[in-house]
Amino acid sequence: MSLYIFYISNFLLLLCLTASLMQSSKIINNKIFTRPGVMVLASVQLISILLSFLILIYLFLISDFNFDLVYFNSHSEKPLIYKFSGVWGNHEGSMLLWILILVLFNFLFALSKRISERLKDITVAVQSIMIFGFVAFLFFLSNPFVLNQNNFFDGIGLNPILQDPLLAIHPPVLYVGYVGFSLVFSLAIAGLITKEVDQQWASIVKPWVFSAWAFLTAGIALGSFWAYYELGWGGYWFWDPVENASLMPWIAATALIHCVLMLQKRNVMQSWTIILAILTFSLSLVGTFLVRSGILNSVHTFASDPGRGLFILLFIFLILAFSFSLFAYNSEKINKTSSMGLISRGTGIQVNNWLLITILTIVFLGTMYPLATDLLLNKSLTVGPKYYSTTIAPIIILFLFFMFISPRLGWNDTKLYKIIIQLRYLIITSLTITLIVSLYFELFNLTEILIIFFSLLLIISSMTASINFNKQNILVRTNLGQNLAHAGFGILMMAVVSNAVYSEERIYDAKVGDNLQLQKYIFSFDKIEQVEESNYNSLKAYFQMKKDGKLIDTFTPEIRFYSNPPTITSEASILHKFFSDIYLVMNVPQDQQSISVRMHIKPFMTILWLGTLMIIIGGIVSASIRIGRFDEK
Amino acid sequence: MTSLVKSRLIKFLLSLIIVLIAVLIIIFNLRDNIIYFYGPTELLKNSDKQGQIMRLGGLVSVDSVQNETDSIFYFSITDGDNEIEVKYEGILPNLFAEDKGVVVEGVYMNDGRFIANKVLAKHDENYMPPEVIETLKKSGKWQGE
Repeated sequence: MSLYIFYISNFLLLLCLTASLMQSSKIINNKIFTRPGVMVLASVQLISILLSFLILIYLFLISDFNFDLVYFNSHSEKPLIYKFSGVWGNHEGSMLLWILILVLFNFLFALSKRISERLKDITVAVQSIMIFGFVAFLFFLSNPFVLNQNNFFDGIGLNPILQDPLLAIHPPVLYVGYVGFSLVFSLAIAGLITKEVDQQWASIVKPWVFSAWAFLTAGIALGSFWAYYELGWGGYWFWDPVENASLMPWIAATALIHCVLMLQKRNVMQSWTIILAILTFSLSLVGTFLVRSGILNSVHTFASDPGRGLFILLFIFLILAFSFSLFAYNSEKINKTSSMGLISRGTGIQVNNWLLITILTIVFLGTMYPLATDLLLNKSLTVGPKYYSTTIAPIIILFLFFMFISPRLGWNDTKLYKIIIQLRYLIITSLTITLIVSLYFELFNLTEILIIFFSLLLIISSMTASINFNKQNILVRTNLGQNLAHAGFGILMMAVVSNAVYSEERIYDAKVGDNLQLQKYIFSFDKIEQVEESNYNSLKAYFQMKKDGKLIDTFTPEIRFYSNPPTITSEASILHKFFSDIYLVMNVPQDQQSISVRMHIKPFMTILWLGTLMIIIGGIVSASIRIGRFDEK
Repeated sequence: MTSLVKSRLIKFLLSLIIVLIAVLIIIFNLRDNIIYFYGPTELLKNSDKQGQIMRLGGLVSVDSVQNETDSIFYFSITDGDNEIEVKYEGILPNLFAEDKGVVVEGVYMNDGRFIANKVLAKHDENYMPPEVIETLKKSGKWQGE
């Protein structure tokens, strides 16, 4: 049985390789492969990969340990959902998922109508070249369907820290984001070849780039949320290389979506849009594969698997070399100059593009510098999180200012003082709130005050702009997506700053019966007990939280002992309130007498996730509205 | 000058200034926030590093872990040749154990002790920080492949 599956699945991969090769040939306007058509080949690509993915899921669900991948990454006693998510909890399976999304996007794009045939052919062809490359990589260098000769009775198991419902959906969501940019990249290359990077092109690209961006945002947020409650440090962002790898394409993509809008409305910034499209996809590749192959975690795992790492580096290099030479050759032909006013919305967007690229550079340097010194000087070092916060904070102030003012400016030269007079109530309100807040909470750091002030301006400005009445007092359609996302960003920034300033942490040694204090709350340690679950044993502590003698909530931090593979994890117990989270973690007792507990008060966490959610919804709204009301003038 | 040329010139100069300021800030901040990694032998050779924030890695010496209370710990980190005593206040990660790899972050004091404010550990008992492997290889105590 396993042998048949082995043959069928490998045949399917080869089938997809062939179809992709035929599809790729459409990049040159030849007549050899006019038949079969784009749609037929795209269906073959999709069906073959979809089937092999379903086969892999099936193998994990029935726990067929004759396959290496299942043996190393699954265990028969694992709950069903983690057998399922274990499919992409490893390098080979996640590669197959990546390819599945790649062919799915290819298929969906091939379906779309009202696109010139030439542009569609070339886009699908470029996409298919990438499909070919990745399927070849999967087939030759990381084949998920490899049989072993032994009859293993049971598998090794999935790392328990990955056994979490959030982590089951985090990779697919993130991948939809990354891979969505592959289509934007293919469209950019197709635009360069047909020399038609114009308003028409921008409106074709727009829904794809916005949905990819929304998914990437959601993917990053899910990962961050998982780190918050699973890693047990009370933090949600650590400026860890792996996190930075996903943030970098996000920053580039944020610049890109604004350029696509500018191009659609004003037919400007053709070259810059193309550069950003190429950059975003390259960074997405870096994000996915360098993390998976372990280069970012450590340079040394790279050496243990030179084939994979080399392939990815070569692939990124080829993509960059090919697209930039094409760009150099054709960029003159796509540029049309049209003027913009100096003090205008366009300038504001351009300035923020610059600022985003600066932030990108900061993150890039901080992430790559330790890698470079390790490779070149054989010297291990890390860059502290303070580097990122102190360097990025001043830029964020400027960024928030331009985010606030630009949508208020027209496309043509606008008198700045007129706008400021027009917005005087808004400015006075924000200023007053900021003053009250900073005096009340004794906040005297200028950077923090300024971020709060401009965030407030942005939030109020975006919210009032989204409620707009015309002269007959009828609510007119406004740019809902933009306003939601902008207000969400303001809320996010405000929450991040307040959280950093007002977080509190206490560590206690606690015996049963002890009363521990954190601010105005008393925690009484009731009992500790052992619980047996199907795939782990756990040690659970019970704390009752009281305020003024009244019971508010019960906390149950726990430690889980997994046996397959043997691992210990801490589960934090968190109370989410609107203005602050209360967060309890315990550790393995050193002796039987007492345990140590760490308690955190994390203000504004709920608001922080709320802001992020608004950004995501804003992206989805913008993706689904065909012609955004980016300009009202 | 036509207004187009003028507006472009202003934009260009503005961008140049922004880039210059940004590059300066980035470089200075990066320099201030670099945390170096040392093994015990390396650290003893570089005694001028006292007072700086750094990372120290190696194996937790056997029988060296003592706790004053549940959250103040003393232990030694060794690479087989030399040992450095570490004081740490906080919660030890679940996988912290004697004779296992560990990386701590903190300050190397004048009296030769290391005051750690972070103990870094991955949630996998087979995981050995690559820096620790490197350290053990340097001292010839590495037993893996």
